[in-house]
Amino acid sequence: MTDPIRIVVVDDHAIFRSGLKADLDSRIDVVAEAATVEEAIAVIHEARPAVVLLDVHLPGGRGGGGAEVVAGCADLLATTRFLALSVSDSAEDVVTVIRAGARGYVTKTFSGAEISDAVVRVAGGDAAFSPRLAGFVLDAFGTAAVASVDDELDKLSARELEVMRLIARGYSYKEVAKELFISIKTVETHVSAVLRKLQLSSRHELTRWAVDRRIL
Amino acid sequence: MYAPLVRPADRIIAGVCSGLAAHLGLSVKVIRISMVVLTLASGAGLLLYAWLWLLVPTADEAARAENAAFNPRNIAGNFARNFGGPRPAGIPAQPGPQPGTGAQPLQRPADDPAAAAAGPTGRTRTAELMQRGGWEIAVGAALVLAGGAFIAQLAGFNVPWETWLPMLAIVTGAVLAWMQLDNSRRNGIMDRAGATGAQGVVRLIAGLVFVVAGIFILISGSISWDVMWPTLLATLAVLAGVGLVLAPWVVKYWTDLEAERSGRIRETERAEIAAHLHDSVLQTLALIQNRAASEQDVTRLARAQERELREWLYRDKRKEEGNLVDRIKAVAAEIEDAYGHPIDVVAVGDAPMTEQYEALIHATREAVQNAAKHAGGSISVYLEKTPGSTDVFVRDRGPGFELADVPADRLGVRESLIRRMQRHGGEARIRNTGNGTEVHLGLKHPEEGNHS
Repeated sequence: MTDPIRIVVVDDHAIFRSGLKADLDSRIDVVAEAATVEEAIAVIHEARPAVVLLDVHLPGGRGGGGAEVVAGCADLLATTRFLALSVSDSAEDVVTVIRAGARGYVTKTFSGAEISDAVVRVAGGDAAFSPRLAGFVLDAFGTAAVASVDDELDKLSARELEVMRLIARGYSYKEVAKELFISIKTVETHVSAVLRKLQLSSRHELTRWAVDRRIL
Repeated sequence: MYAPLVRPADRIIAGVCSGLAAHLGLSVKVIRISMVVLTLASGAGLLLYAWLWLLVPTADEAARAENAAFNPRNIAGNFARNFGGPRPAGIPAQPGPQPGTGAQPLQRPADDPAAAAAGPTGRTRTAELMQRGGWEIAVGAALVLAGGAFIAQLAGFNVPWETWLPMLAIVTGAVLAWMQLDNSRRNGIMDRAGATGAQGVVRLIAGLVFVVAGIFILISGSISWDVMWPTLLATLAVLAGVGLVLAPWVVKYWTDLEAERSGRIRETERAEIAAHLHDSVLQTLALIQNRAASEQDVTRLARAQERELREWLYRDKRKEEGNLVDRIKAVAAEIEDAYGHPIDVVAVGDAPMTEQYEALIHATREAVQNAAKHAGGSISVYLEKTPGSTDVFVRDRGPGFELADVPADRLGVRESLIRRMQRHGGEARIRNTGNGTEVHLGLKHPEEGNHS
């Protein structure tokens, strides 16, 4: 077995941090914790973890929460990966933190094992999608938009759509792989491609959509 | 970029000079000396100082005004504001208060709804006209009129210039002043002048006509000029004096009024949140303490409360209530409460209810209920509405079953799922994924497909 993955947990609730620490399995080693934006940026620069489990809503800083932490650690993005963790269901929170550079989004209702899996996946350079995030992606990119070229940033390819649909239906990566007769590695490649599109696309539905949800 | 004009905390008298220096990027000494020099010029500096003292906010006040638009929960907005660049979520910086989650709309000045109620018709139409080169048209028309009058005079008609010129000046001035105001201010002024509704507008216009007529009579020569100038000067002096004396009180009164109004709004908001928390969260917490012995009850209560609170906090205001997604979520919530298994609903797209959808919802209920009853564990519901078709997937992680194994007298699956969907032009498929069962309910809407 390889060395445990070094992670930093950033959340403003001490009870939640300790609960999460207890729930994570042995593949993961929590090296530090932080509760505010400033603290998080300092701690992450000091500890240089492989993965940061990051709450979307954090006190401090300029009010930007988790996204601000990611932006503040932009110099480390090559070595440190961010996994957003939130109770929030609101689309704009999720999309903001993903577009700031986080490599995945899981909700706090996930079990310790599921969060551990997501951390391992993110540490390996892949993306961690929850069913809800997959639903957001389908909502934003449209279920019919099919890219003719895989590199097209504003549309999903047919295969990526299939993968997103299955994840939204509650399939794990392994189940998606089995369903589509492809390897897990291929599923991960597709998901990473979708993540990249989600981060870089200037698709106006994506920005519009995030804005719309905030307007009454 | 100039620094904002505010009165800083380190001050000699009222901080006007240091604020002005920071704003203009000059040294404080220069500003102070020019103030003194100006004061020697028959008191102009003193007047300017008093004027700025009254109107320039202190640094504290300015900061408070800025904070009013800041909502710590609005992560996306704050992030976009602080890190505006190509990267972040593309949420454009919003002018003014951010319309956002629950608490936000109440922070807007309360004159907004009234202004909106005043009817967008007349004013927006004028605004539109102005945008479409209406301004140029107005100038052109005025020039044509002036030219026509001039030609008429050349042709021998007697144009009463001394009557028309002042009138024209007044109208032009009024229009210019009006155009300087932006939309919200215009609405604010209309609102405060009581010019909301037809009656108010008539009153306002009549009043203005009277004032203009009065001035007009004054200058049109029925009173001799040598009497008029001293009279006018005396009137102005009295008015200016009264204005100067009253101005601080008026400003103070106005600020107090605004402060009190926003305070009251905040209080109402707080009371609403408190009432909500009391009705829901506190009650649930009390129940949880009562039932602490039963783990299942506690989980169920917590889950139901979470769902309810979430709905209240993150409710998508844009979506209409009673639509397909709403109904599916309600079904899921009901079964979650009844069986205590967590049900996650992910929805893409939405549509208003139809008879077909009623059938789909009944079938979904049956499928979710089956999953909760027989499989347990967490259940995923995925709804996808595209132009042309609607699909619902209900997935559990139970032992699974084969349709062929179900006894023929059990009507649940065959009648409620398969036949019901068939009757409404859809289909139901049940599949054992190897790790739980998945029910797929599909509806086709060929008539909608043409739109896409």
